[in-house]
Amino acid sequence: MANQSGSIYGLTILSPIKDDPNAEISPSLAIRMYLQTLPVDGGGPFGRVSNTHMARLVVLDDVVYFGMPSCEEHLKSQYLIFESNFDGELEPYLTQLATEARDEVHNIWQHCIGYPGVQNVDAFIAYMKRCQVETTFYFADVNDKTVQQTLKALQTQSAVASFIEKNQGKRSEELQPAFVEFMRRLNSAPRPKPGSTKGKELTDELL
Amino acid sequence: MSNIHGKAYAMNTVSPMKPWKTYILRLGFFVWNHYKPIGDGLVQLSFIHFARWVIVPRYAFPRLSEQQPKDNLQYDYLFFFSNFNGTWNQYIDAFSAVLFSGLNLIWRWSEKFPGSVPVTPFKNFIVRGQVETDYYYTAYPHATTNDVKAAHRVQSALDDFAKLTEGMPPAKFADAYLQFLVKVQGDLGETGEAPVGT
Repeated sequence: MANQSGSIYGLTILSPIKDDPNAEISPSLAIRMYLQTLPVDGGGPFGRVSNTHMARLVVLDDVVYFGMPSCEEHLKSQYLIFESNFDGELEPYLTQLATEARDEVHNIWQHCIGYPGVQNVDAFIAYMKRCQVETTFYFADVNDKTVQQTLKALQTQSAVASFIEKNQGKRSEELQPAFVEFMRRLNSAPRPKPGSTKGKELTDELL
Repeated sequence: MSNIHGKAYAMNTVSPMKPWKTYILRLGFFVWNHYKPIGDGLVQLSFIHFARWVIVPRYAFPRLSEQQPKDNLQYDYLFFFSNFNGTWNQYIDAFSAVLFSGLNLIWRWSEKFPGSVPVTPFKNFIVRGQVETDYYYTAYPHATTNDVKAAHRVQSALDDFAKLTEGMPPAKFADAYLQFLVKVQGDLGETGEAPVGT
């Protein structure tokens, strides 16, 4: 199935946006303005939906005309594109989206046609599935590691580099206990949060 | 700018295709899905976290109510979404230089596609079809694709080393530690802020 590569799911959603000619701010502009206020780090909605590797939201105003001899044509609705790359299966992910990021999801999708709200999670899942389009070809360079595994590995990589640097030239009688202590600290250290830019600082505190 | 977050760039493009041509492209993707030459090329480039092509037939743009105007399109549309490291120019240059034959097989079915070589008309084609990203999130903004792959190799080597040296005499530990260093030395690059311009 092209929506999946290994353990990674590639979700593509096209949600038609409401058209309200009498609105002071058009629904598509309201979405864009709201998205500008959302944090892009772990404090944003996808930091809480923590099995998200990468996600984006795009307002598609229209299709593109490339010039003669192709025909010029236009969409009759604008669409909100939601593209996400996450661990696991679709329904648990959409459930997490509706529960862990309910305010943000509501503030975004309330401008879309047919959006049923997030109070009824089953209705929200059914709505998102109606908006889903099948991915034709999907590529994930690392497709067998979860977000948590990747964050842990990045923390480990930084910690190992620091450990090696700080223990250069030590005799093996000193090195071995230092390594045992290093592993103890590394294994009990708090993991970096998704979306965080503080990996190196956490490692420095750890060592 | 929302196209960029940390070391990742989110690119979106859309291009029209005559409906009969989408059948050929779907067949091509089916073959690539099973024999993987495009995927292998992307792995070799090693600066793309995730990428996808999505064909949306002219009748398949979601219509969720009778009040929503019905589209009347002549073309199917090919969407391309990519999460890559580096600058836009580096990305398109590398695509054009390394994957030109694969790209030609994918986009040649789109209207007005000029070919991926020479690169200038190809870039003009991409610019014309590109749609800006309004919000972009990545769980590891300071890590490139190569960083992620290297980190997993370090994690695996460390797990093996810790298991191997548990209870080992100090003299033997020193030898094993040296071998561990040799094994991970090429994978210890530091992640962090992206250079200006990426």
